[in-house]
Amino acid sequence: MLSFNQPAVYQSSNCYVTYGILPHLDPKQLPSKSKPWTTLTSQDFVHKADLIIPQEMLELVQEKLLGDKLAPTFKRVVISLHDILSGEFFTEYIKKGDVLMLSEGRRGIDNVLSLRGGTLTMFLGKEAYERAGLVGKPHGVKGKRGLKPRWIVEFDLTSPSMFPGKKGFDRLIYASNNAFAEPITWLFCNVSSTTPDPDPLSRHFATNYTANPGLSQGIDAVIPKLSPDVDFIASSGKEDFEDFSTNLYEWLSLVRLQSPRIQVGDKIDPYLSRYQVPDSDTEGKICKISWQGFLAPSWCRQILIGVITALPSKTWFSFSTTTFSKGLAGDNAECTILRPPNSSGEYLMWEVKGHE
Amino acid sequence: MDTKSRKDQPIAAALLSRAHEPDEANRIFTEKIQQRPLFLTPSSPPPADARAARRRAQEKKKQQRKKALKPKPLSATQRRRLGLYDVPRAGQKHALFEPLHRLWLGYVREILGSEVYTGGEGAAAKLASADFHGAGVEVVRSGCVSRVGIKGIVVKDSKFAFEIVTIKDRVKLVPKEGTVFRFEVPVPDLRKGVVEGQAGEGEEKMCNLVFEIHGEQFQFRSADRASRKFRSHFSKKL
Repeated sequence: MLSFNQPAVYQSSNCYVTYGILPHLDPKQLPSKSKPWTTLTSQDFVHKADLIIPQEMLELVQEKLLGDKLAPTFKRVVISLHDILSGEFFTEYIKKGDVLMLSEGRRGIDNVLSLRGGTLTMFLGKEAYERAGLVGKPHGVKGKRGLKPRWIVEFDLTSPSMFPGKKGFDRLIYASNNAFAEPITWLFCNVSSTTPDPDPLSRHFATNYTANPGLSQGIDAVIPKLSPDVDFIASSGKEDFEDFSTNLYEWLSLVRLQSPRIQVGDKIDPYLSRYQVPDSDTEGKICKISWQGFLAPSWCRQILIGVITALPSKTWFSFSTTTFSKGLAGDNAECTILRPPNSSGEYLMWEVKGHE
Repeated sequence: MDTKSRKDQPIAAALLSRAHEPDEANRIFTEKIQQRPLFLTPSSPPPADARAARRRAQEKKKQQRKKALKPKPLSATQRRRLGLYDVPRAGQKHALFEPLHRLWLGYVREILGSEVYTGGEGAAAKLASADFHGAGVEVVRSGCVSRVGIKGIVVKDSKFAFEIVTIKDRVKLVPKEGTVFRFEVPVPDLRKGVVEGQAGEGEEKMCNLVFEIHGEQFQFRSADRASRKFRSHFSKKL
């Protein structure tokens, strides 16, 4: 197939809308290969997750999803790259286990290192790249052309050639001793369910955090029409579908932001805001549950499975996840899934992502 | 004469007819432009008489002998083919150059004197004009990332590159462009109150003078560097 080159000029993020059918969830074989699930797992590090449900469904969801022991935990630790690549940490967490780590900084400006699925990715500036001595690819809109090019270096640490004594790994160790010698602040999340018994992380005095869900309930809201018409899908109705999905996404985003515009009886001066909820004939109470922290995409997938199994199939819900920002402009990737009411497994998914 | 119309007249004749009277213009045009003699070789026409021919032959011989007597340097191709400046395979051993390295350390300590401990501008100026054959070097930063980490003793310091023999007995040619080299000179540590630790009584504690050289600014032969005053230049690439 044709392979498209990286864009050479700045491109803003795009929003892709998908309308499909959720297959029935078999508890023995949980889905992972079809559309909403692959999008969820393709996100790298999730920062915020929000669930919007009608108020009446809150109790059903409460014991399943909001128990204390189910809240995701993560840690913040100050550790140097050399310590990650050697000793107990390397064998237990990286070779045998599955962890997510992200270092402090912004990708276009500082040197950001991230570890995901056993792959160490480093986004380096010119000086760090030249001092490290590791081969990488150019990164950014200008590529190799500008005065200060930036680089991405990737290493698959789970591969059998990544052991001390092998040439490639020795070069990585050399770089960690020279170019990345000082300790870096990382966010750490253990994705696998087991923790190794003498915890290698205990030497480094990590700070533990728990992303407790925040609940805002009893929001009196004006609810628009949530189900798309079937004739939107026909080719003649393309613009209608675009309008419908844009308006619905806007409404969902306002609910996530807890904006007063969607509330019943909102009387704002039209000079300040002209927003009107589209097709505003129903009113109801909705509630919003939000998690914020260093979350794993697999956890998001489990929450979505939990919600689908907990709620009766006629009720609607909306689940959205936002990642950490990537570039200089602070764009994040986002995925929002809405199951319309009284539908037989239909869903609408909005995916916002940039080209990076 | 003006049977030709104005358009058919060549440009040179037209210009000449503006400057001179018609007969004059015509004469100049035919003699000096149309019938201009074209010398095929510098020595054509052949000499008229035998005497001129003999004189010419003798001068030619004298010039050739003078040229052959003048010594000329070898061209790059000749140098490469003769292999005069290559380190022979038997000689590419790190252990062979270690005595040279010790000589160099002594030499650097001698030229720096007490500035080894303080560093600074004076030490930098002396080091810039010093000779680096036998120095212990490590490539620390480079535009070509595969060069980073090469460590060894300098075997040859040419205008644009360093030849370095590594601990594994390989000779590597590292261009100076876009590369930063780090040199270390161990000197005895004279600070008071330094704990001896596990070092025995006979051993002295050593500390290092570490300095880095930007190869971009250093692209001169070591002989030319001795009298050069280095000024700091702003580098776009750093």
